[in-house]
Amino acid sequence: MDNRYKIVIIDDEEIVLDSCTQILQGYDYHVATATDGTTGLTLVREIRPDLVFVDLKMPGISGFEVLDQVRASDPTIVTVVITGYATVSSAVDAMKKGAYDFLPKPFTPEEFRLITQRGLEKRRLVLETIALKREKEMLRDNFAAIVSHELKAPLSAIQQNLFVLAQELSATLPEGQRNRLERMKLRLDELLKLIQTWLRLSSADIAIIQASFRPVSVASVLWKAIESVQQHATRKNIHIRATVEEQLRPVSGDEGTLTEAFVNIIGNAIKYSYPNSSVSVEARAQDDRILTAVADTGVGIASEDLPFVFEDFYRGKAGPAGEQGSGLGLAITRRIIEAHGGSVTVESELGRGSTFLVALPAAAGLPAEPGTDSAVPAHCQEGGLL
Amino acid sequence: MSPQRRLLILDDDPDFVEGIRAILESAGYAVDAAYNPKAGFEALKARPYDLLLLDIMMGRGAEGVMIARKMRKDPKLSQIPVLIITGIREQIAFLFPGQPVHPHFLPVDELVEKPVEPQFLLDKVSALLQAAERRKAQAS
Repeated sequence: MDNRYKIVIIDDEEIVLDSCTQILQGYDYHVATATDGTTGLTLVREIRPDLVFVDLKMPGISGFEVLDQVRASDPTIVTVVITGYATVSSAVDAMKKGAYDFLPKPFTPEEFRLITQRGLEKRRLVLETIALKREKEMLRDNFAAIVSHELKAPLSAIQQNLFVLAQELSATLPEGQRNRLERMKLRLDELLKLIQTWLRLSSADIAIIQASFRPVSVASVLWKAIESVQQHATRKNIHIRATVEEQLRPVSGDEGTLTEAFVNIIGNAIKYSYPNSSVSVEARAQDDRILTAVADTGVGIASEDLPFVFEDFYRGKAGPAGEQGSGLGLAITRRIIEAHGGSVTVESELGRGSTFLVALPAAAGLPAEPGTDSAVPAHCQEGGLL
Repeated sequence: MSPQRRLLILDDDPDFVEGIRAILESAGYAVDAAYNPKAGFEALKARPYDLLLLDIMMGRGAEGVMIARKMRKDPKLSQIPVLIITGIREQIAFLFPGQPVHPHFLPVDELVEKPVEPQFLLDKVSALLQAAERRKAQAS
């Protein structure tokens, strides 16, 4: 990689080009020249310079036009105009158009060197500002993820050791103490989950994800979601039965957040299910939409509570094992699904179970992916446990 | 009786490593630990391991990912099953803009979340070891 500063000089007088090139000899710059605007612009696009000198008065396309096009191709390139008639007014006009500085003809080598150095310094600052801004934005956007990692790491280490202690002491501890240990594990687990959801909600606007939408296979999203909740299901001996229609068209979306939405829904189904039962996950196409139904035979939701389940901080009644949520999971889920142009609804009967239905628009103009079904491994399709 | 299996844990959190080590040792595995990517990679090259338990978020970022990628390129190391144990969920892909964290770096990968329940961990470990054994038998 050539790390030298790159300079393009565009002027119809060859003598100017020659002398400028000569003045800059001995500096570690890459200098390219052109005698008219059109050639100059081609050069600019090719070598992507740091600094461009443009003569304002040239035959062919004007210096102002060149300035405009350089700006349009990359606004971070620093431009300096060379003005033949030493009129301040045209230089001012050029600077209004975004030129950084001007060089009145005739100029001394010293003046040209000085303005070159000033221009390159400006370029360095522009690039540095952009880099800093990007870093700041990244930090802001990823704040939740970073903080969540910092908070979760020590808690995970504690929990891991509690798991070991509980196992090592299971034979020796009296029941009361064993229960205390179990409660500690449970509360720590809640805290870990709370950190996850809370920080997720405070992180960057979910609408931002729309910028990076790509075709996403629903089957692979569901498989990942199921994989992520499998541990919880295994613990309660709940069977996850997944059936995904073959040749489903992809949806246009963000795989990560879509997976998160389904983790919330399927995770809820498991949470509110009785042990030794099953949860079904079914995906099929209907018209231009992909419908996914997640059904459980668990505690269900009272009809008076149904309208509120997708609201922030709404918490359902505890699950059969006393499991409580943060009250945010479904609210986040709804936001994610709606950001994808879809909808999520629920039907439920108290004591009989709930069915969540997610409808996502199929990606326009994209054919069904061949072998979509193969994205779901056999153990998920058959609904077997791991 | 099959010979004792030797596992390597690569994780920068010593407390977490101890929690995992105790579970694995109680199940009869020989366990070594390395606490940074460099030491981990050296350990992998120094002696043959039957399985690597790998943390993703180490050091300056997702250095576990680098280790997995390096292993895939090495013909010998690419045969070692890798069980990723991570505190970050895969769906937090925005942690690495433009570079989603995907668990399937290697054909033999599995991913579990921290903290991991002892029995679940042991099941995963033995499943991976058995799968590796079958592959080896098929190859020869």
